[in-house]
Amino acid sequence: MHDNRGPNVKAKNSKQAWKSYWVSIKKYRLWIFASIAFAVASAIVGIFIPKILGDMTNVAVASYPDIDFDGIGRDAIIVIILFLVSAVLNYLQAFILGVVSAKYTADLRTLIINKIGRLPIAYFDKHRYGDTLSRMTNDVDVLTTSMSQEIADVSLSLTTLIGVMVMMMTISVPLSLISFIVIPLSVIVVGKIMGYAQKYFREQQNTLGVLNSKIEENYSGQIIVKSNSYEKAATLDFNETNQKLTRATMRAQIFSALSFPVTNVFTNLGYIAVCIVGGVFVVEGRITIGDMQAFLQYVSRFNRPITEVASSTSTLQSLLAASERIFEFLNEPEEAPDPENTMAIEKVKGAVKFHDVSFSYLKDTPIIRNFSVSVKPGMKVAIVGPTGAGKTTIINLLMRFYEPNSGYITVDGVPIRDMRRSDVRKMFGMVLQDTWLFSGTIEENLRYGNTRASLADIRKAAEASNVDHIVEALPKNYKTTISEDSDNISAGEKQLITIARAMVANPPMMILDEATSNVDTRTEQMIQDSLEKLTHNRTSFVIAHRLSTIRNSDLILVMKDGQIVESGNHKELLKLGGFYAELYNSQFAEN
Amino acid sequence: MLKLLKFLKPYWWQVLILVLSTAGQVYTTLQLPALMADVINHGIVPGDINHIWQIGWIMLAVTALSAGLSFVSSYFAAVVGANFSRDLRATIFSRVLSFNLSDMKEYSTASLITRTTNDINQVQSVMVMILSMMLRAPLFCIMGLVMAIQTAAEMSWIIVVGVVAVVLMAALIIALVMPKFKIFQKLLDKITLITRENLTGLRVIRAFNNEEIERKKFEESNSMMTRLLIYVDRIFELQNPFINIIFNGMTLLCSWIGISLLNEDFSYLGDMTAFSQYASFVMMAFLMLSIMFVMLPRANVSADRINEVLKTIPKIKWNGTTKGVPDKRASVEFKNVDFSYPGAEEKMLSNVSFKTEAGKTTAFIGSTGSGKSTLINLVPRFYEASAGSVLIDGLPIGNYSKEDLMKRIGLVPQKGILFSGTVTSNIKFGAPNATPEEVRAAAKIAQADGFISRLPKGYDAHIAQGGTNVSGGQKQRLSIARAICKKPDIFVFDDAFSALDMKTDAKLREALKPVTEDAVVLIVAQRVNTIKDADEIVVLDKGKVVGKGTHFELLNKCKIYQSIVKSQFSEDEFEKETKLAQKSAKEANHA
Repeated sequence: MHDNRGPNVKAKNSKQAWKSYWVSIKKYRLWIFASIAFAVASAIVGIFIPKILGDMTNVAVASYPDIDFDGIGRDAIIVIILFLVSAVLNYLQAFILGVVSAKYTADLRTLIINKIGRLPIAYFDKHRYGDTLSRMTNDVDVLTTSMSQEIADVSLSLTTLIGVMVMMMTISVPLSLISFIVIPLSVIVVGKIMGYAQKYFREQQNTLGVLNSKIEENYSGQIIVKSNSYEKAATLDFNETNQKLTRATMRAQIFSALSFPVTNVFTNLGYIAVCIVGGVFVVEGRITIGDMQAFLQYVSRFNRPITEVASSTSTLQSLLAASERIFEFLNEPEEAPDPENTMAIEKVKGAVKFHDVSFSYLKDTPIIRNFSVSVKPGMKVAIVGPTGAGKTTIINLLMRFYEPNSGYITVDGVPIRDMRRSDVRKMFGMVLQDTWLFSGTIEENLRYGNTRASLADIRKAAEASNVDHIVEALPKNYKTTISEDSDNISAGEKQLITIARAMVANPPMMILDEATSNVDTRTEQMIQDSLEKLTHNRTSFVIAHRLSTIRNSDLILVMKDGQIVESGNHKELLKLGGFYAELYNSQFAEN
Repeated sequence: MLKLLKFLKPYWWQVLILVLSTAGQVYTTLQLPALMADVINHGIVPGDINHIWQIGWIMLAVTALSAGLSFVSSYFAAVVGANFSRDLRATIFSRVLSFNLSDMKEYSTASLITRTTNDINQVQSVMVMILSMMLRAPLFCIMGLVMAIQTAAEMSWIIVVGVVAVVLMAALIIALVMPKFKIFQKLLDKITLITRENLTGLRVIRAFNNEEIERKKFEESNSMMTRLLIYVDRIFELQNPFINIIFNGMTLLCSWIGISLLNEDFSYLGDMTAFSQYASFVMMAFLMLSIMFVMLPRANVSADRINEVLKTIPKIKWNGTTKGVPDKRASVEFKNVDFSYPGAEEKMLSNVSFKTEAGKTTAFIGSTGSGKSTLINLVPRFYEASAGSVLIDGLPIGNYSKEDLMKRIGLVPQKGILFSGTVTSNIKFGAPNATPEEVRAAAKIAQADGFISRLPKGYDAHIAQGGTNVSGGQKQRLSIARAICKKPDIFVFDDAFSALDMKTDAKLREALKPVTEDAVVLIVAQRVNTIKDADEIVVLDKGKVVGKGTHFELLNKCKIYQSIVKSQFSEDEFEKETKLAQKSAKEANHA
């Protein structure tokens, strides 16, 4: 897992990261090259401007005191044409790159969202959501921003650098050589400084991560901090990290700030060298005064490209790291596609059979071993066991979120592995403890399982599941918007809405996970009542916490430490005197 | 933002040095073009090589001075910036730690975290920009203008033209693009929201076979975003070409005007080159200022959010004067306590009275919103009663010093809150001096010893931030162990048992008995089974006490309690319980 990533994390395999990136921009390569070509052209056109401006001075000085304004005017017009052309080319390159990067962003996002839809559930049980989310947001952002900026900047800088050097050489070779001496010096010194700065930036980023998590846990655990009088210790601990962060920030800041005066010194040295040596050359008649003016402009232009190219290497690193993380995700193995010839059940009766099913999440720890059971249509199956016993495994297998390692499951005699996944899932309705609703209106949410449901269907389901009166109490009724963290409806009410949602879908079988806590008594009764209606005459699998549910079940599967240890009905299991009996006696029976 | 400037006060002399050195640096930088003009006018034109060298040395000296000053100013900018954000962060952190629950309620924890992390980072980076760029830009503006006028007053109108052009362009682009950024942010939020929903609702989406619907929803926002980006790009990319046109046009204008003035005074030859450099300095400064105008409002939003926190003064003052904890068995009493949230009209609690003492267990039950959690939060003074009084050992809790009050209380909140560190460091959280034996004993009582010893490093096992690497039930048990280890006089269990399965719940309560013999136990619960044995059960409804007594007493006389029990027990059991209750009432009568 990737935690606390700073911006300067290096890619593990840069070559692979490059390759994936290169492949992914295939569609846009032509445009990107066109954009680079425009950038180069724009830079080349621009390079001639100082030279011609210098020529203007030359013409003026040569014809002084009868200044040849016609000649100067011609030069001026050429300059105007040059900078207009250069600007148009510049705009074209930036615009093309902008469009490409916008489209590329959209492509990447679509790829990621589709990938989310096709990855097996197992992937998300192993990886944190935040991780995937950050690939979708941060990494895509890094990849596309650096694409639109870096490509243009680097090609523009390099062209300018080379072009400027060529122009300078044509004016005067010795003068050029004098001003070039400062380049390697400046690159080496700035590179060294940036190296230090990078180191401290990384340190700053890491410390910031540590500090942020300290803030987070102290804030969210405030009542514990307070009731244990831990504030002083917390503040001391915080201050220590804060001081560390300040030190790193200061160092990073100083070093990166240092690069500014240093490059400045080198530019100015070049500038002064040209002033002095160039001045002497003009006096000696080796170059003209206009050439010297042009030269001064060139010298001041060549410092920026160097620092830009130098800084682009670090951007490149973060680009590669982002690219690696995105394509790593996109290359995760997907759910096996549905078989070609699938079977389907016309009218589901609801006979579910486990045939010798074995399953394990991890290779060495089997969860279910050679389990066989037959559930008749309309039966109620309760899955019980202590916290963390793996009760959701059965649901995962039924819904084909996971596939058994061996053995198979049939519905009405048809093996579900020979059916389309979507057809399997259509047979079951699910009401889970985690009351997931998407942000949208209540009506949209209720319709989620059956988009063709009429308003009347929805009302009927809402009435049956006691959602009706809650909705009526809301200002906009069925058009009220709800979201994950909305507080206009309570947890219990959300639970009721998910039940209503399942009713609207009206599936032949049901899967339920009884909620245990945080629901008040009245709502609790309504939930039970609605669940009763929902499971009536339907084959249903319930992760049960309530005694009443368990007792009324036709079949109880008892799980312990991730395995089904017993199965049977309440009476049989009590008679058995095993784990179920122990579980039951410790909690429900009278002392 | 301005209000935050007071955090610079302790560093006033550093700021002063910063301002002075920046001014010096700007001044020296601006001397170079003038000296260069001198080289042209008095060295090159008359052919005086000595003069060229003489001025050359001066230029070198000025450059060295400028570099030195530049280093000094960057150094102090870094120091001041880093210290500023450290102080700000520390102030906010300790302010938030001093908040009570009612203060916290005004913000939400997530928002406070963002304010202490992201918002401060935002303000910090802008502060660094202000200290370096903002300071430099106006200085460059003013001094550059003065130098330009001194050099060639006749040409100064060119600068006016250039500045107007730059400002107009910046204003136009900002006006066209800024409103779109708001839409951009909204779309980006939506894309993130849909992605997050796709991740959190993974199972539901697949169960309903709605991958396609989700994909379409996403595509809609995604393509809207792309269109917007391309639109913005079209305008935004005009920026660079326009700047280039303005700068080049201005240089041309300087050359043209300079040359046409040559007949008046030949020294315009040197002056026009110097002048065009001053003009570009001034325009660069304006460009920087316009960037600041874009950045500042964004930083201002963050600064306002920080100021809000700084303005919030904790509502509860700790003026208590007690010294140390008395060596006797504690008692807790509520006398006609009223409570309402600040600003709310409805009372959360009204006229609540009860009394309990060491060795007794008092339980609170009622539906969601009945006020039971609020009530229990009054004991550690997380909230202050709006009327009536809360007494510990007969003394109003306001009279206690914070440390003394908290020392007596062992709180277990609804959610298991853990801190990053080890298992031991978490259990020792409230009792830093606890021995390993005491830690282990506490864990044993909390039924946590079993799973802890199964962890790879046992009691030294790492706990991740927020306890994400242990299950919900384990978190809760560790959090109970933490309270036990503290050996408090008053235990407060706020619905602490509902995350545990029934079997563990029962075992834990059994093991707790000897520990709580000499302590007051206050317990909020959802499950009747958890509190059946309590010495007194307080039934709450809408903030009022509607019943007080033992389980059996309440079963006989309290309607609300009866309905709660009915909802959680099967019919047989309910009848059995009721009969037992009646029997015990008769027995009591006989005696």
